[in-house]
Amino acid sequence: MAEPKMRNISFPRYAEYNCAFKYIVEQALGARYVMPPALTKRTMELGTKYSPDSVCTPFKTVLGSMIESLEAGADTLLMTHGLCRLGYYGELLEQILRDLGYQFDFINLSDYDMDKKKEYIRIVRRINPKVNPARFLAQFMEGLRMVEYLDEIAAEYYRNCGFDATKGSYKRAYQDFLTAMYTAQGRNDVETGYREAKRALQAIPLDKPARPLRVGVVGEFYTAMDAFSNLELEQKLADMRVEIHRWMNVTNQFLHYGGQKNMRVKIKDLSAYDMGPTSTANIWYARECAERGFDGLVHIKSAACTPEIDVMPVLQNISADYKIPVLYLTYDAQTSDVGLMTRLEAFYDMIDMRKKVL
Amino acid sequence: MEHAYLGIDVGSISTKGVIIDKDDKILSSQYIWTQGDPIGAVKELVRLLEEQFDKQRYQIVATGTTGSARKLVGTIVGATMVKNEITAHAVGTTTFYPDVRTILEIGGQDSKIILVENGVAVDYAMNTLCAAGTGAFLSSQAKRLGIEVEEIGDYALRSTHPTQIAARCTVFAESDLVHKIQLGHPREDIIAGVCNAVAANYLNNVGKGKKIVSPVVFQGGVSKNQGVVAAFERTLGCKVIVDPNGHLMGALGVAILARRGSGRQDFDFAIENMEFRTREASCGGCSNHCEIICVYRGEQLIDSWGNRCERGARVH
Repeated sequence: MAEPKMRNISFPRYAEYNCAFKYIVEQALGARYVMPPALTKRTMELGTKYSPDSVCTPFKTVLGSMIESLEAGADTLLMTHGLCRLGYYGELLEQILRDLGYQFDFINLSDYDMDKKKEYIRIVRRINPKVNPARFLAQFMEGLRMVEYLDEIAAEYYRNCGFDATKGSYKRAYQDFLTAMYTAQGRNDVETGYREAKRALQAIPLDKPARPLRVGVVGEFYTAMDAFSNLELEQKLADMRVEIHRWMNVTNQFLHYGGQKNMRVKIKDLSAYDMGPTSTANIWYARECAERGFDGLVHIKSAACTPEIDVMPVLQNISADYKIPVLYLTYDAQTSDVGLMTRLEAFYDMIDMRKKVL
Repeated sequence: MEHAYLGIDVGSISTKGVIIDKDDKILSSQYIWTQGDPIGAVKELVRLLEEQFDKQRYQIVATGTTGSARKLVGTIVGATMVKNEITAHAVGTTTFYPDVRTILEIGGQDSKIILVENGVAVDYAMNTLCAAGTGAFLSSQAKRLGIEVEEIGDYALRSTHPTQIAARCTVFAESDLVHKIQLGHPREDIIAGVCNAVAANYLNNVGKGKKIVSPVVFQGGVSKNQGVVAAFERTLGCKVIVDPNGHLMGALGVAILARRGSGRQDFDFAIENMEFRTREASCGGCSNHCEIICVYRGEQLIDSWGNRCERGARVH
């Protein structure tokens, strides 16, 4: 019998997590990973052209990225499930891509019951029937560890990169870390890359005032975390010498959410119900930032993101109660950052002058 | 020679300039239309400012630019301070009205609200994806009704029964307005209705969730419209202050910021006779195709921007 063909799997671009998807596909699942090209204007043009107009921007980005993956030779696309409209997106994406004439196998996690462990085995067997379960488990866990490292280093980076004494040294160390993660072939590469990045970042001298400006970032799961989609908001604000804090990432939301078990209870006075996949965490973290005396909050969402629209009135209450300014930003498929810069500069001027007076 | 400071505010619709002395007294000021040509408008502005300005007595030692073309114009005039229009408006207004608590601003294409406490901006909002209810909307409706935009205020004040116009969105407001015209509503009432719609739209969108506390200062081009001022006063139930120089507040603010800043560079009126041009170059470094703007004085490249990574720095 002929050897079954090795799959060429792709998952759309998502912040810097694609190196972890690559690691899991290659090391744990024994398949090939097709790295989708970095998101560009072309991705958005493709995505916007073939998407329903009123759908939220991440759908357009994901569709554009999937088309670019197929162009790059992917024969299997993986799509996540989700707790908002995202849960329906897989089906729609597949239909649009089939109508465009692409041939591929589509693995939609929404088709599976992700609460059951058995379902994970079904997915793994579908991707590669000959997978070795022991190797799969070990390498899958290492892939998740890479996700944790990515989030930990990114958080450290955005907290400090605005303050490095020699401009650009922080950025270089972060880029080196990402390169190590994107090229990791095994456990040793991941662990060494992480340790070296930790050491490199800690060795960089910082020129940080005793009370730096601190801004908390909350918002919709895709746009708040993906630098291309939010026009590099965190980098832009950090470059003005601001500490950026964001709780929302894959580690906190999916891997360690258990540690925040009482989040719902903690925000009961602000919001009686869960209003979507990220509302509870965003409201909880916004108040955390306010109580810790942060200088401002930035709320990020794509246009027409209903769960995050529901969060906004609660943020207004937090803003009034704790006297913390909130910058609300709505993103669509625009690629010019001129308007964003105006708002960010004004926000920075405001929190800076405010800190000196209040 | 005494020191003077120049502030230039280049917006989408109008270009404003002021020269102030060290006590923020206005020595020269101008307000002209941008007409889609910020470079041409600034050269004309500088020429007009020069006419009113006593060059024997004063020397401009610092220049600030603001407004949506602040970067381009800052490069051309050799600005020592390039500041966003929100900060410029806040600084300008709090200098002349230290007690102000709320600044309403409606310009040609954008609108913003700034909340002030103890003379410092503490919160602000600006329209994001939609330019509803700004000066551009009023201009196009004035044209439709066959009157000058400057006359809108007088018409609105003559109305006793303003027509109800949907304020949710400019596009809907416009179709609503057309229907009311065709039904035979008097012109004054329609115009008053439009002014009410602008105020309501602003408070529902930009002002949403913000606590508006008196004293309220209203500025930007639309503040010259008495109809909108009256609509704000009625809705907010308090007096709305409109400064005679309200339309210059951004330029004043950035002139003050230039004065307070550390940068010093003598301003040369000769730029009104220099040739400036811009060119767009597309970077081929990756499929993002960054649009890079190159600014030339004569044949010399003086600045460029628009690339997202260092690869674009080579493209000129």
